[in-house]
Amino acid sequence: MLAIFKSYSIQNLVNNFIVLFNIKIESVWNLLKYKPGDPLLFNTSLFLILFFFFLIVYNLFKNNKPARVLLLIVFSFYFYYLSAGYFTVILIISAVINFFFGKWIASTENFPKKRILLAITLILNLVLLGYFKYTNFLLQAISDLRGSEFNPLQIFLPIGISFYTFKALTYIFDIYYDTLKPTKNFFDFVLYLSFFPNVLMGPIDRAADFLPQINKEPFISKDDLGKATFLICSGLLKTVILSSYLEDNFIGRIFEFPLRYTGVENLFAIYAYTIRLYCDFSGYTDLAIGISLFLGFKIMDNFNSPFKATSIADFWRRWHISLSKWLLDYLFKPIQISLRSWRNLGNVIALVVTFFACGLWHGAGWNFILWGIYFGVLMSIALFLQKPKEKLYKALKIHNTKFLRFFQIIITFHFIAFSFLLFRLSDLQIARDMLSQIFDFFHSEVALQFVEKMPLIFGLIVIGFVSHFFPAKIEAAIKKSITALPIAGKIILLAFVIWLVAQFKSADIQPFIYFQF
Amino acid sequence: MISTELKKVILNELNLDDFDLQDETIAQDVPGWDSLNHVNIILAVENKFAVKFKSYEVLRLKNVGDLQKLLDSKLGK
Repeated sequence: MLAIFKSYSIQNLVNNFIVLFNIKIESVWNLLKYKPGDPLLFNTSLFLILFFFFLIVYNLFKNNKPARVLLLIVFSFYFYYLSAGYFTVILIISAVINFFFGKWIASTENFPKKRILLAITLILNLVLLGYFKYTNFLLQAISDLRGSEFNPLQIFLPIGISFYTFKALTYIFDIYYDTLKPTKNFFDFVLYLSFFPNVLMGPIDRAADFLPQINKEPFISKDDLGKATFLICSGLLKTVILSSYLEDNFIGRIFEFPLRYTGVENLFAIYAYTIRLYCDFSGYTDLAIGISLFLGFKIMDNFNSPFKATSIADFWRRWHISLSKWLLDYLFKPIQISLRSWRNLGNVIALVVTFFACGLWHGAGWNFILWGIYFGVLMSIALFLQKPKEKLYKALKIHNTKFLRFFQIIITFHFIAFSFLLFRLSDLQIARDMLSQIFDFFHSEVALQFVEKMPLIFGLIVIGFVSHFFPAKIEAAIKKSITALPIAGKIILLAFVIWLVAQFKSADIQPFIYFQF
Repeated sequence: MISTELKKVILNELNLDDFDLQDETIAQDVPGWDSLNHVNIILAVENKFAVKFKSYEVLRLKNVGDLQKLLDSKLGK
C-alpha cells in the first residue's frame, strides 16, 4: 500500500513538475521572444534582469577583446530583435553598406570620385530610411493633391532606424572630410552601429568617439560608477514617475478633450507635457549613458537643462544635443558655407532647410514639418533681431543682468512649450481648442482646487520643474555623494529607486476629478 | 603659429581687442565664435587675403592652426 502510495505520489510529483516546468518554459519563451509593438525598454524589469546577467558574463570576458565584442554584438542584436523582429536584417544591411562605402571613400584621393561615392552612400541610406519611414506619408500627400482615395501600404517601421542611420552617417561624413580613418574591423563597426544602449533612441554617438573605445579594456573608475548609478536612478525616476504617471493620469486626458476643462487645466497640461517630454527623452538618455558606463563606454551627452535656455538657439544647444550637433555639422554648416557669399540670406536658407529636416526626422507627419519650420523661422527672425536687441539692452542698462536672463528664460520656455503642442498634436484643432480655453475660459480659481484635489499630480509637475532648475552645483553634489557611497550603498539606493518606480508602475490609473467652475 | 594678419582679421570680425589664438585653439574657446560668426570669419579671411576656399576645405578645419595651414597653401607659402 505504502509502495503504491509512494509510486503514485512520486509520479504525481514528476507530472506536476513537468506541467510546472512546461508552463515555465512556455512563459519564459513568451517573455524572451519578439512581440510586435513591445520593444524592450530600459525601465522594464525584464531588461534590468537580462542586463544584470549579461553584466556578470561580460565582466568574466572583459579582458578578452574578441569575446567582449562578440558578447556585446550578440546581446545588442538580441535586444534589437526584441524590438524589430526580422527587420533586424535592415540593421545588418546598413552596417554592410556603410562599412564598405566608408572604406572605399577613404581609399581614393580622387576628389570627384570621393564625392560620387559619398552621394551613393547618402542615397542608399536615405532610400532605406525613406522607404520605411516616409513612403506612406508621401503617397498620402500625392493622393491628397489629386483628391483620390488613399490606402496605406503595410510597411513596418523598424524602430531606431532614424537613429542608427544617422549614427552610420557620422562615420561616412567624417571619413569624407578626412577627420576619421575607417576601421579595418567589420565587427567593430557592427558594434558601433548596433550598440544596444543607444540603438533605439540615441544619443546619436559619433563613430570617431566610440570606435577607439572598443579597443581599450573597459575600465570603470569610481567616478564612472557613481555617475552611472546616479544616471540610472534619475533615468528610472524621470521615465516612470515624471513621464508615464503624469501622462496616464493627467496629460493624456486633457489633450484628448480639452474643451471639457478650463484654461487653468489646459495650461497646466501644456506645462506638464513640456516637462514630461523632457523627462521621458532625457530619462531614457540617462539610462543609455548609465548602462554604457557600466560596460566601460562613454557616449555623448544629449541634454543640458534645456529649459534654462535664454534663446531658441540656446535651447537647441541644450536639447537633443547629439541630433542638433549632427544637423549643425553635417547639414547646416555645409549649406551655410556653400552659400556664404549670400551672407544672411544664406544663413536663413541653411536654418530653414536644417529645421525642416529636423522636423521630418522626428516623424512622417505635417505637424512635425510645421514644428521644424516653426523653429527655422524663429531662428531666422532672431538672426535679424540680434544686433538691435543688444543695442536695446545696453540702452536700457539690462545687458547681462539676472533680470533680463529671467525674462529671456520665461519667454523662451513658452515658445518651446507651444512648439511641443505642434509636436504632439497631428490634429491642429485640438491645439486651437487648448489655446482658446486658456485665453477665453481661464477660470483662475480652479488653480487652487487643482492643487487641493490633485496634490500628487501638481507636486510631480513642481518637482519636475524645480529639479530641472536646480543649480548645476546641487546636481554635482548629489553625484559626489552617490560616488562616495560604498558598493552596498549604491545597490541599496538602486533597489530603493526600482522599488519606488515599481509602486508607480503598478498603481491604478488615478480617477480624474472634474473641477467645479 | 598663427600670423599677425590672420589673428587681426579674426579678432576684428569677433569685435575682440585681444585673444591668445594658438594652433590648437578651437572655435568654442573663443568668445563669440559661433556657427554664424564662423561664416563671417571665413568670408573676411577670403576677402583680406584675396583667396577662395572650397566648401570641403572649410568644413574639415578643426582648429585655427588648420585655417592658417589652408591659408598658407592658398598663398603658396
